Parts: sequence; structure tokens; C-alpha cells
Amino acid sequence: MVYRGVHSTLISIVESLSQLHIITRARELWRYRELIRNLVISNLKSRYKNSALGFVWSLLNPLGMMLVFTIVFGFLMPDVRVEKYPLFVLTGLLPWNFFQASINAGMYSVVGGSNLVKKVSFPREVLPIAAVLGQLVNFLLAFAVLFMALVVFQASFSPWLWTLPIVILIQTVFSTGVVLVLSTLNVFYRDTAMIMEVIMLAWFFLTPVVYSVGMLPETLSTGSLTVPLQRMVYILNPLASLIAIYRDLLYWGYRTDVDFFVRTAITAVAVFAFGYWFFLRYSDRFGEEL
Amino acid sequence: MTVVRRPQIQPDRPVVSLKNVSRAYDKQREYNRSLQQRLLRIITRKQRTPTDLFYPLQDVSLSIHSGDFLGIIGPNGAGKSTLLKLVTGIIVPTSGDLTVCGRVCSLLELGAGFHPDLTGRENIYLNGSIYGLNRREIDERVERIIDFAELGNFIDTPVKHYSSGMYVRLGFSVAIHTDPDILLVDEVLAVGDVNFQQKCLRSIENFRQRGGTLILVSHDLTTLQSICTRAIWLEDGRIQADGDPLDVGMAYLESMANREQTETSLAKTEEDSRRWGTGRIRIIAVEMYRTNGEIGGYFYTGEPVRIRVKFESDEAVSSPVFGIAIHHQNGTHITGPNTAHAGIELGTIHGRGWIDYIVPQLPLLEGVYTISAAVVNHNDTETYDYRDRICKFRVLSSRTSERYGLVVFGGHWQLETSAESAAPNHDHRLSPDSPRSSTAIPNA
Repeated sequence: MVYRGVHSTLISIVESLSQLHIITRARELWRYRELIRNLVISNLKSRYKNSALGFVWSLLNPLGMMLVFTIVFGFLMPDVRVEKYPLFVLTGLLPWNFFQASINAGMYSVVGGSNLVKKVSFPREVLPIAAVLGQLVNFLLAFAVLFMALVVFQASFSPWLWTLPIVILIQTVFSTGVVLVLSTLNVFYRDTAMIMEVIMLAWFFLTPVVYSVGMLPETLSTGSLTVPLQRMVYILNPLASLIAIYRDLLYWGYRTDVDFFVRTAITAVAVFAFGYWFFLRYSDRFGEEL
Repeated sequence: MTVVRRPQIQPDRPVVSLKNVSRAYDKQREYNRSLQQRLLRIITRKQRTPTDLFYPLQDVSLSIHSGDFLGIIGPNGAGKSTLLKLVTGIIVPTSGDLTVCGRVCSLLELGAGFHPDLTGRENIYLNGSIYGLNRREIDERVERIIDFAELGNFIDTPVKHYSSGMYVRLGFSVAIHTDPDILLVDEVLAVGDVNFQQKCLRSIENFRQRGGTLILVSHDLTTLQSICTRAIWLEDGRIQADGDPLDVGMAYLESMANREQTETSLAKTEEDSRRWGTGRIRIIAVEMYRTNGEIGGYFYTGEPVRIRVKFESDEAVSSPVFGIAIHHQNGTHITGPNTAHAGIELGTIHGRGWIDYIVPQLPLLEGVYTISAAVVNHNDTETYDYRDRICKFRVLSSRTSERYGLVVFGGHWQLETSAESAAPNHDHRLSPDSPRSSTAIPNA
């Protein structure tokens, strides 16, 4: 039932995408690949230029956060026992940080690029895409740390580790879709940023980043209604599924269920398609609104 | 509403074509920016009324062909920038069809995409890619861009340390080297020092030879008329005139002068100009007349003009001296005739009257000029009345007169060539010593 609904929505979005000359737009975007590359590079360069430790910060930041959560959950709340907790936290924290940083940078990408948008004509989607790709580069750098930690804690590598690049790609596509919507909304309503601050906090706690889904009660009963809580978290929160896949590959050493994997990929593509459609629909008005 | 943009020029088709294009803005746009305001509007059920909209462009149809050098003139708020923004692709029309073929490059905001922390060279790559060039294309151009911008060793310095001149020079250099098909210029020919400005003009001339299309917005009619092959006059969101730059410029200036005339005659009642003197003779007004006796606020170069100084005095004053001074709007003093220098003794004056200064052929060129008038005693020891810049007038030049500067000299040209000049590699020397053959070129 749910999937049929998703399916028909997908078809209608694909139809409207074709009306927006999707091939022409994609070709135009490809012509501007150099701009995306340059925006990512200049963004990274200026971020690290005036700090003494440079890009080491993108390694130290997740390590510091890992330390905080290890202290909180390892010592202050010793009831919650997870084996190799620092590693457990790190495998969830890095993808979450990537997501959160993408949202924060991407949401402001169009508003922040207003001096360009108001003066030069180029495919506007370049800005949110470059913002997410910039965070992707950071994320990949931070992965170096994770691999060190994996070796230190003698993690059990999954035989499916080779799918990791695909997982990262899925997350990038998903984040880009969300960012395309948010960056558009932020042009018209600056309230978007305020609202997102709260939403991101809620999202963080509703995503099994510092805890595992297994710690949640299986079902939640309120009066006559019984909600399958663990399942709901996965169904309603694509990020929960993504982080579960990261953990399967890097922490538990499991093989990820194929249908789980595919479902997450379809969700990501659908979100991206919707985001791109939404963005193109309103991007003509950016020049006058900013 | 349809917008079509093609990356390539299509032969036999206009490069820019507007069909009944209108562009509306919401006057209250700023107020419904936040969600709160939007919700309030939904709750109070306030609908957007047509009066909330204003139209910088209304029903404009225009075809610009490949190779056109189009100048756009018009007062502030006429819709010129809106038109440029539409062609650039920053905004889209509210209604009407717009087609743009070819690569558009605007010199509206030079260096708009520069990143302050990056060096000049890095910014060339960044800026080039903003204009849609790929790396190979920028690689091919980077040396020419650096040469043109005259940045020398500074090319590897972050642009935040650049002077504003260097910044703009680099911006212009990148823009012009993207090989655009359509170049949009908004008053920018004032880039850098005189040398660089000439270089810019030369590169625009090269651009013309390559068959490029230029759209120039300028308040400087002289520059516009010397560059453009066609002009439109835009006002109140509509095209008022389209054609030869000299004709369109003339029509525009005449309409502006007519409007000024009605406006200044209203403003004249106010005592806004500076005035001093003992008041034994008072200057009431200065008026300018055409030959037909009509008061005018604008005149053509070469037209006969009568400048009338009206005065009054309550007592008899003997041997006063009247004088006027004509200044260009920018403050340059052009002339200051007075009755004493002309050798005229005016006798005794009592009551009201006027004195005329008659100019047989107005030698002034296009511009706005002011007249000051004064009356003093015979040896200039007492100023009865001094009215600074009491009267303002505009001069329009017809196309046959001299065009640069402030005054017409009315001279004529004479060419002389020596017999040796028949040989190849001759030079044209204008020397009075060797009058072998001489041709007088009649004064235009």
C-alpha cells in the first residue's frame, strides 16, 4: 500500500521533471562542473586558511565528540552497555555530522551566494550541490580517523565493506535532496533556519546515533494504539536506516539486508528528485527575492 | 510566459528577442518575506490587488540582431536595469516571450564572484567557471587575462589586498576574455585610469569586429553615440523611440528639456540661489528668449539667443554696470560680459526695466549651463545686487555641429599635401611652408 503510494508519487514527479527540460538542465549543470569544483575548493581553502591546525580540525572534531559521548554513556550512565562504545559512537557520529553539516551549509548556500545570484546567471543548483560536496570532502577526510579507530579496536570488518562508497553516495544524494528544498525555502522564508535548528536537534535524538535501535522498546502503547516503535524509526527516518547500514558494515561486521539497502537507495533518489523539482520550480525567482 | 536560451547563435535570427515582455514587482515584497506575515495574510484574507504591483517594463517588444551595438537611454527608474537583468537571466519576465541566443556576459558587476581569500590567478579560474568556461578553456586564456589586467606580480596575491582599480581591471579582463556573443555594459567604461579605459574601448572595438553584440546603458550620450549603431529610449517601462543614436538622443534630450522648463519655472519662484548686494538696484529675473520672442529653457547650438535681465530700483541710480556670467554645470566659467567692458554708459536708472544681452549664434555645445547676473556701480566699489546662478538652461547640439567639449569654434579645416606624398609610404603633413596643393574642407 505504502509502496504503491510512493510509486505513483515518483511517477508524477518524474513527469513534472521532464516538463522542466530535465535533460537540458542536466547538460547545463554538467557544463558548469568546473564551477562546482572551484566552489568546493575555494570553500575548503578559505575554511582552513586562517586556522593553525588547518584540516586537522575535521579529524579532531569527531574525536572530541566521541570522547564526550563515551564519558556520558560509558561512565555517567553505566547502565547502558554497548561493547566498544567509542567505536559504536564514531560509526554513527561521522555520518550524522556529515548530514548535519550538509544541511547547515546547504541551507544558506543560495542566500549566502546572493551576490552571485543577483549578478550572474548560472544554474542555481550549483550552489547547494557544491555546499554538500564540500561537506563530503570533509567527511571523507574524517574517515581516515575512523579507519584508525577501526584498527585500534580490532573491529570486525564486514565482507560487504566494498559497498561503503555506495552507502556514502546514497547519503550524499539524500542530503542534496533535503538541501535543495531547504535552500529554496530559506530564500523566501528566513524562518526556515530557525525552525531547522529545533528540527535538527529532534532529528539527532530520533536517530540512533549515540544509542542503538535495540535499546528502544519494541512497541509503544498509548491507550488502545500500539506502535511498532523500532520499525517506525526505520520507516520514517531514512537517516536511521543509513546509519544502521554504516554500523552493519563498520561495527557489527554484518551483511546488510539487500531489500533494506535498496529501500534506502530508493528513498534517497525520491527525496532528491522531489528536491530538484522543487528547486527548479522556484529558482527563477531567486534573483528578485534576494 | 516563455523563456528560451540557446548557447549558440542562430543565423538569420535575432540574438535577443522580446515579444510583449512585461515585468512586475510587488511593491510590498519586503513585508511578506517571513512566514509570520504570510500566515497573517492568509488569516486576514488580504488579497494581492493589482495596485500592489508596479511594472518596470510594460509590453516591450524588441529584436536585437547579431552585430548590433545597442544603446539604452532613459531617466532613472525607466526600466533599463530590469531589461539588462532579463537578458542576463537573473530575473524572468512576468509575461511575454524572451529568447536569447549565444553566450551572454555582463559587465554590470565586475569581479562579482571574486573570493577575497583566493589569489588573482585562482580567482580567474573561479570567475571563468562562473561564466561557464571549463578548465581547458580557462587554461588557454589565463596568460592573456593576466597580461590584459596589468597585474604583474600581484597575480599570486589574495585579491583582498588589491586596490579597487586592480580588482575591477581583473574583473573586466576575465569578462572580456570569455569570448561572449552578447556583452552587457552598464556605465562601466570608467574602469581604471585613462590608459586602461582606452584599452577597454579598444577591446570593445575588437569585439565589434568579431561580430559581437553589445547592449550599453549609459547616461553619457556622447560616449553612447560614438559607440552604438542603434539606440532605444526607454521611459516608464516602454520604448519611446528606437533608431539612430543621434536621432533618439535628440528626441530624448528635447523631451527632458521640455520637462525641465516646466519644472524650473515652478522652482524659480523659490529663492534658492545665492544673492547679495545693497539693493539700490534689484535684479528681478533673468529670462532667455528665442528669436521669435518665446521664452525658452533649451536652445540649439548656433541659435540666436536674447538674455534678458529684469531689474527695478526705488531711487535714481546713475551709471550702473550690468554683467552676466555663464557657467557650465560642472562649474567651468565660460564667459562674463558686462556693460562697462562693452563701453556702454547707461545713464541714470529709476523704476523698472530690462537690459538684453544678444547672442547672434549660441556657441555652446550640448550640456546644462547657468547664468548669474549682477549690477554694480561704475567703478565696481558697490554691488547693488548679485544673483548667483539665477537661471539654468540646456543646450542641444544638432548633428552637423562640432561635438566634443563646451564651445563651437566655428573654424574650418584645410589639408595640404606635398608632391612627394604621391610616392608610396607617404605621410600627411600639414605644413604651411610647402603649399604644393591645398584643399579647403568646407566647414560642416
